[in-house]
Amino acid sequence: MIAQTLVDGLISGSMIGLGAIGITLTYSILRFANFAHGDMLSWGAYFAFAVAGALGTFMPGLNESIGPFSFGWSLPLALIASIILTGVLALLIDKILFARLRARGSAAIILVMAGFGAALTIRSLLEFIFTSKPRYFTDALQITQPLIAGARATPDQLLSLGLAVVLVIGVHLILTRTAAGRAMRAVSENQALAGLAGIDVARTIRLVWVFGAGLAAVAGVMSGVLVQIRPFMGHDLLLPLFAAAILGGIGSVPGAMVAGLIVGLSEALCVQFVGAEWRAAVSFLILVAILLLRPQGLFGRSAT
Amino acid sequence: MSGAILSTSALIAGYERDLPIVRGIDFAVHPGELVAILGPNGAGKSTFVKAIAGTVPTFSGRVMLGGEEITATPLHQRIRAGLAFVPQTENIFASLTVAENLQLAADILPKQLRAARIAKMHKTFPDLASRLNQRAGSLSGGQRQMLAVARALMVEPHVLILDEPSAGLSPKVVASVFAMLREINRSGVSIVLVEQNVKAALAVADRGAILVEGLLRHEGTADELSNDAELGALYLGRHTARSHAS
Amino acid sequence: MIELISYGAFFLTLALTYAMMCLGLNVQWGQTGLFNVGIAGFVAIGAYVSALLTTPDDPARFGGLGLPIAVGWIAAAIASAIASGLLGWLTIRLRADYLAIATFGFAVVVQLAALNLQSLTGGPFGIGFIPRPFAELAPNPLLFGLVNLAVLGVVTLAVYAALEHLMRSPWGRVLRAIRENEQAATALGKQAMRFRLQAFGVGGAIMGLGGAMQGHFIGFISPENYVPMLTFQVWAMLIVGGSGNNRGAILGAVLVWAIWAASGAVISAFVPPDQQARAAALKIVMIGVGICAVLLLRPRGILGESRTVSRHIEKAKP
Repeated sequence: MIAQTLVDGLISGSMIGLGAIGITLTYSILRFANFAHGDMLSWGAYFAFAVAGALGTFMPGLNESIGPFSFGWSLPLALIASIILTGVLALLIDKILFARLRARGSAAIILVMAGFGAALTIRSLLEFIFTSKPRYFTDALQITQPLIAGARATPDQLLSLGLAVVLVIGVHLILTRTAAGRAMRAVSENQALAGLAGIDVARTIRLVWVFGAGLAAVAGVMSGVLVQIRPFMGHDLLLPLFAAAILGGIGSVPGAMVAGLIVGLSEALCVQFVGAEWRAAVSFLILVAILLLRPQGLFGRSAT
Repeated sequence: MSGAILSTSALIAGYERDLPIVRGIDFAVHPGELVAILGPNGAGKSTFVKAIAGTVPTFSGRVMLGGEEITATPLHQRIRAGLAFVPQTENIFASLTVAENLQLAADILPKQLRAARIAKMHKTFPDLASRLNQRAGSLSGGQRQMLAVARALMVEPHVLILDEPSAGLSPKVVASVFAMLREINRSGVSIVLVEQNVKAALAVADRGAILVEGLLRHEGTADELSNDAELGALYLGRHTARSHAS
Repeated sequence: MIELISYGAFFLTLALTYAMMCLGLNVQWGQTGLFNVGIAGFVAIGAYVSALLTTPDDPARFGGLGLPIAVGWIAAAIASAIASGLLGWLTIRLRADYLAIATFGFAVVVQLAALNLQSLTGGPFGIGFIPRPFAELAPNPLLFGLVNLAVLGVVTLAVYAALEHLMRSPWGRVLRAIRENEQAATALGKQAMRFRLQAFGVGGAIMGLGGAMQGHFIGFISPENYVPMLTFQVWAMLIVGGSGNNRGAILGAVLVWAIWAASGAVISAFVPPDQQARAAALKIVMIGVGICAVLLLRPRGILGESRTVSRHIEKAKP
């Protein structure tokens, strides 16, 4: 039975990992903990929900399930739209709020506070527009397929896991092999030097926002497909996301994914052996442990 | 100041408006020159070149590069205009490898030039070429300085400014760094050098400028400044037996 | 007319409980710059401790010692102080935003514990029959309301006076020095840490007291009360009123609570029942936007000290 727990943990962990990558990138480059990131995830799910719904209404053929999966082509298309829209949302919030506070030299703490306020605003906006009734991408029920050692998983879940792996590799390649990725890492280390080296820091920052938002959108859609869509879905993931980002080491993309998997597995084990009602406490314990023992995280470097 | 490759005109700069550190400096560098900026501690030498480079705000006055005013040019455009700056500390990206540091510098070049330019840097700095995959943070002080200069030279700038390149380096390494600077200067790059190590600086410089309390007090050829005992005692710490490098 | 006064007393009393929490936050943030995103946790601890000590016996759960209200309130303050001390000790060395995340997590866990430890806290059913001050006056709602207001008013005033005195004392002066001069703080080293921990504890104690006061005034508490929204409300109150300033804390609490209650009343009155949840959500949107606007346009709030806030709002010069 432990195998099933592990599989469940890996699947939820991969979603947490994707979200955590977004947080670790924005955190390391923008230098503040963005409490609104969880709600980006929610907006990603809702954007996709709205677009998929619209597509399905005008072109019903797109709703037919692709192969063994629960969704039709309307979902991947909606996902792409959602990535773009969530990116726009992130840029908007930065332009209206964070960029202005940065320009006047606000301390990180003010940015965090503003993030808190922005989070509340966009989350409540979702509740206003869609109400808090849970939504689903599809009514189709999925049958679990046997995996290994008695564990079972649905095709959706396996696809989700695969997508997470592909994305992590993709993000890593972008950061290490492209000019934009190098620019992001340079800005993350030393903004002034990056400017001297000819990097347009403001543009790089916008790129980071879009990047992080896009990943959040994917994580949100995944969560929406596998579980359900509701206004608080991202907010409830905030603590696990932060725990994973810090456990992995701020700025480390592979670290964030590995840590996400660890958090997912720990939560699954907690549900199995302690009880589902205590799941949210697991992230907090991991967080406190890592902050006490090794604040730079698994893959981070010792603090300056 | 016609014919100057780099010049400032009544430049006032600093970190806070009501406390300017650079209090009005007229300064010019002629093409092909190697100019040393000297002066006592706290004179504002670093702040002056940082203001020219763009990392410290300018409150009034002008900075001109090759006849074009760049006072309001955004930081990341200045290197594209031909002005390269090597800060004293944190002048390389420690978390990136040597190769990535160089690649980063080459990223702003037109695509077709990149590979050739990088290859040229490998040739000019064989010490770096043999360490491409090493994390830049693990390089020695002298190697870091080389990398910082290589990064700055990637765009083949008109003017290269360095803020105390000898800081923290052993005398042997200082000598090699300054020899390299002389070579670079000979290849046509104008150089402005802020230095505490007066002897090494004047040995390679054509001209020197002495800053005191935010103002340009004396200028002269390197020979003139070297031989002026009074100036030396007043501003260049010649009397006290100080060794700058360790 | 009488109803209006009654309602006014009710409103003000509740506002004062928030003012208490705000005063506590002001000690933590305004005096030490520690960003506590887990206010709800400390308030919850205070409320539950006091409730458990003073309520009559209930077979379903622990507690029911039926102790006097004053004992409950004092215990609430002490319990929250201890919790703050512990959390502070764990996290005070952390950079500001790690502290924020850790306190956030702490509040989540406190609420979770309140929800899950049913035999201790009554779980989702909460704790009822919390004794109200001067309960014997209950049959006369107007007098009861006014007396309650008076009691809370006196306590708030006392705490305010104590805090003002504390801030002018040598202890307060050291705190101010640490807050304003990073180098002095570093030079003091561990000592500075101790002072900040003490301030964190004092702030937490006051928050706990506020939670207890609120619980006793309403008569019923449940885990649902202690969610991040509460944390945000108190922060909004301090930001609007003026951080770093005790009067600003009280003013902000009354003002923001007035807006909150008024908009809530308008929604109840004019919005059809099936749309009320949505309208409530819209209300929060507008308040969120309002907070961001204050941060952008007048970050020091209405009464804020320019010196305190300016240190936290502007980065240190290079």
